[in-house]
Amino acid sequence: MNTILTVKDLGISYPVGKNEIPALQAIRIDIAPAQVVGVVGESGAGKSTIGKAVLGLLDQNAIIKSGHIEFLGQNMLSMKEAKLESIRGKDIGYIYQNPMTALNPVLTIGEQMIEAIEANTNLRGKKARDYAIELLEQADVPEAEDRLTKYPHQLSGGLCQRIVIAIAISAKPKLIIADEPTTALDVTVQKAILNTLTKLCRQHDVAIMLITHDMGVVAEMCDYLYVLRYGKQVEQGPANDVIYNPQEAYSKQLMAAVPRIDKRVERFVVPGEESIQGKHAALTYLHDKEQSTRNSLQPILSAESLCKTFITPATMFRPKKEFKAVSGASFYVNEGETVGIVGESGSGKSTIGRMLLGLHDLTSGKVTYRGKDLAEFATEKERRKHSLSMQCIFQDPYSSLNPRMSAGQNITYALQAHGMIKEHEASELAGDLMALVGLPRADKDKKPYAFSGGERQRIGIARALAFRPDFLFCDEPTSALDVSVQAELLNLLRDLQKQFNLSMLFVSHDLAVVRYMCDRVIVMKDGVIVEQGSNEQIFDDPQHPYTQSLLAAMPRLENIA
Amino acid sequence: MLIYIAKRLWQSCILATVMSLIVFLGMFVVGDPVEMLADEDFTEQDKIDLAIELGVDKPLYEQYFTFAGNILQGDFGVSFVYDRPVLDLITERLPATVEIAVLAMIIGLGIGIPMGIFSGMKSTHWGSKTISVFTTIGYSIPNFWQALLLILFFAVFLKVLPASGRGDTVEILGIHWSIFSLDGLQHMALPAINLAIYKICMQTRLAKSGTQEILHQEFMTFAKAKGISKGRLLRRHLLRNILIPIVTITGLEIGGLIAFSTVTETVFAWPGIGKLLLDSIHMIDRPVVVAYLILITLMFVFINFVVDVLYAVLDPRIRYQK
Amino acid sequence: MKKYYSKFNTMKRIASGTFSGHPAAIIGLIGFLIFVIVAIFAPWIAPQNPYDLMTLDIMDGLLPPMAKLGNGTTAWLGTDALGRDILSSVIYGLRISLFVAFVAVIVGSFLGIILGLLAALKGGWVETLVMRAVDLKVSFPGILLALMMLAIFGTGVDKIIYALIIGTWANKARLTRSSALTEMSKEYIDAAKLAGLSNWRVMMHFLLPNSIAPVLVILPMSISGAIGAEATLSFLGVGVPITEPSLGLLIANGNDYLLSGKWWISIFPGLVLVGLVLCINVVADRIREYNNPYLKSRG
Repeated sequence: MNTILTVKDLGISYPVGKNEIPALQAIRIDIAPAQVVGVVGESGAGKSTIGKAVLGLLDQNAIIKSGHIEFLGQNMLSMKEAKLESIRGKDIGYIYQNPMTALNPVLTIGEQMIEAIEANTNLRGKKARDYAIELLEQADVPEAEDRLTKYPHQLSGGLCQRIVIAIAISAKPKLIIADEPTTALDVTVQKAILNTLTKLCRQHDVAIMLITHDMGVVAEMCDYLYVLRYGKQVEQGPANDVIYNPQEAYSKQLMAAVPRIDKRVERFVVPGEESIQGKHAALTYLHDKEQSTRNSLQPILSAESLCKTFITPATMFRPKKEFKAVSGASFYVNEGETVGIVGESGSGKSTIGRMLLGLHDLTSGKVTYRGKDLAEFATEKERRKHSLSMQCIFQDPYSSLNPRMSAGQNITYALQAHGMIKEHEASELAGDLMALVGLPRADKDKKPYAFSGGERQRIGIARALAFRPDFLFCDEPTSALDVSVQAELLNLLRDLQKQFNLSMLFVSHDLAVVRYMCDRVIVMKDGVIVEQGSNEQIFDDPQHPYTQSLLAAMPRLENIA
Repeated sequence: MLIYIAKRLWQSCILATVMSLIVFLGMFVVGDPVEMLADEDFTEQDKIDLAIELGVDKPLYEQYFTFAGNILQGDFGVSFVYDRPVLDLITERLPATVEIAVLAMIIGLGIGIPMGIFSGMKSTHWGSKTISVFTTIGYSIPNFWQALLLILFFAVFLKVLPASGRGDTVEILGIHWSIFSLDGLQHMALPAINLAIYKICMQTRLAKSGTQEILHQEFMTFAKAKGISKGRLLRRHLLRNILIPIVTITGLEIGGLIAFSTVTETVFAWPGIGKLLLDSIHMIDRPVVVAYLILITLMFVFINFVVDVLYAVLDPRIRYQK
Repeated sequence: MKKYYSKFNTMKRIASGTFSGHPAAIIGLIGFLIFVIVAIFAPWIAPQNPYDLMTLDIMDGLLPPMAKLGNGTTAWLGTDALGRDILSSVIYGLRISLFVAFVAVIVGSFLGIILGLLAALKGGWVETLVMRAVDLKVSFPGILLALMMLAIFGTGVDKIIYALIIGTWANKARLTRSSALTEMSKEYIDAAKLAGLSNWRVMMHFLLPNSIAPVLVILPMSISGAIGAEATLSFLGVGVPITEPSLGLLIANGNDYLLSGKWWISIFPGLVLVGLVLCINVVADRIREYNNPYLKSRG
């Protein structure tokens, strides 16, 4: 086979303290001319290391244990720095994940583009500048000439990424290494960027090594696929085969964990999963809730015409600034039901949650929980007492736990502070709840830094459960997690909901996750609810143009290239 | 950008006013000026006359306005000890301090920044480690002890440079400069070196940590991936970014120079404003101390303002705030 | 009991991570501990009490190191003009230097942390007031400020401690405020509020413990800075009084005899001072390096 890049038996390790941790072992990758090859895996798979290794951009302390990398017949690993320099940017382009940090903040866009052009082509001065403008136009950047004088922080993430792509393609390289090029971007922007990238590469016969964890993107773009796990290669093959007919256990697990948009599945298939049935003690605690007088026909939570405007007060030099985060949002959640809120960043979905929970004041509107208007309480304290059964699961596992308290303390501290349980009971309860969410009981004295992201989210769930909640607000709880971890966590939430008849408001930007979790869906854009309906209605028959474009933009596993 | 400058200017004026108020009130706490000037022969009537003459019988706010008004006109009062206008005293001694301060600055920046960048880029190199050792020792030795050591070594032991005094001066434009005479230069050497050592150590450490931080940023890796030459990476990408913290800290360090000049001038008997301050404190020459305070304050407010503006010039994120 | 055991383990872990493989820092730490122990046990360690005028004999004055005193003991480091044993003077001087610096930095840090927290929590005019005060103080070099203060209020051990407190509080306040602001935006604070915990509890158990880390990191540097500042001020004659000489004042006293060849009166206090500051700085550097964000891995 005619390949432009061959990676054979590559092994790279990093020194950590006195030991060496292998980042990659025995990796084999071949890329043919103009082929789009996907390198996929979850975090810790070592995918980025491969991209960096090809270009000689590894950290200084990286140790190359074995293997070699050949590009157009040249040995990349033993190449001198000067030669590497001439290949970088010219024959191999590089696109990096976060466009805002990839560009130097104190230099203009024009300067950064022109220096690349002058370094990698024969163009100089005015010719280089004209070429830069041409490249930007090809990359679908509007007002290209004007943009040259701007600085990165003045432009949006999507625009910056287009500029990065334009730079990568400027010298018409044979290969572009794209390391998670769209992870930091919104869904609709993502689609457009990927289209631009594909178009440009087809146009100039450029091969792409696409490194990503997003299965949907891979399905839409790639011809061939390599699946990595913890630095080892698990499976490889034509994209179609690997996605629809995975052979290895891990790839099967991975593909099964990807949420689907085309239909709502009952449950993710997660191997070796334990059900929550056998955790008696915690179940008893949670079932022991006071049966409050609640009219089951009434929604447990209802919001009427919620509005939130953020005001930056005027100073001597600038008039008052107003930002309408949420306008006129009205919805309700029934008992035992999960309602999803979908939207991109800036849509106001998180703000709504914070308003419901009482973390933001309402500019106007009414929130009724369990039959009582939350604004009608005399003191903050009473309000909190009433709403104690309304809890939240947060988004960022690395900032949602108190780093100085142990896991168990994080779970039961507030209960103790309120005097709801005694100290010796707290330890028991913490252990029970941790077992319920699938964590080892003995870990309750460990601090958060000892747990992985998924485990921390479980602790967060245990913490919320400690209050015997009736209502859970889930603020993108799985956005920061790997696909397989996400599947486990979502299964857990569903199980808990069924067991304890929880009502949930689930916020996400990932439509596929919402498809799986939610009975009804609310779609938001720029602070306004554009459409509401049942799961089937929204996904099978969307009415509003924005909903339709959102669905169209989501990379799907089903759209095999 | 203009708005930014205007805002900073406004804030600087407020700051200057507040500081002048604080100094003025501080003056009041020190003691009654009448008692300080009077001796045993003064009768009650004499004291009252003196009070009227000094203007201390008027209400507080009026005194403050007189005070502020005088300052704006350049009238800082008359020294108790020398019986001359304070402003004259200060302007006489200012060139001496400026000379060694500027020389120390140049040496400090000229040596410190390149050494720091080198250490930051090649932190495992033996040269970098040696530099680290020297800078740590350098700023661990208190300023005055360094001065003593310099005197011991160069003046007493080697007998190469003079231990104190200013030496011959050359008068240009009505100001006395040491730098234009050989004897003057010799006398300048030790005090300037004394001030410079601390500066070198600080600048090196700063430049080193700044360099290391910037080198780790993603845009450096990305620029490398674009195929930019190492030289250009260093010049355009690293340097432009590192200027920002260096400028800010250097501006603030000028304050340190003035502060340490007090010590240096005392040890080397260098007749600058630092020595004037210390002598005035010991002799309780209040007008001089007050004037010094005011002048230094104004100078700092000005330096801060300039640094803020430079900051905006260098960092487009400040210049073009969304 | 278990609580303390786990805290001890945490400290052990941090200490071994910070210091292992860095011999300079270990030496610095040991050196510093020796200095502290000597200072604490001064009355028992020093051969002579330099403040007790009865024990002094002027005939013992200006003797070089290793000379024998009138009463038969050896003056290891020589004597000064009044016959005081330099070794004892240095030991007691060390005591004063350390005492002043520690008290000033600890009180100043307390003050700074509280003000910084208040600024972050209350915002509004409280924050503006505190931050402007910080800006004011920071733009003024510490030595000058202390000089002015001492000029106005006179000298004395307590006055110099006040002056040094004013010198240290500001950057602690600034660090605490920015650290607190970062923590406040983190979700665990929201979770604590959602749990119905009172503002006081949230501040004391959630916000405070997680905001003071940056201050702890610069604490050693502050202490060495305070020691140096006090020494400079005492040297200039506006610091501690003659009756309680710190190392700086001892150096100043010996300064007059330097050029006439009686170097030991000034040099030995100087060496001790430099040694002390160096030890602390080496440790401080190591702590800062260890704490550096771009070297830390997540979780």
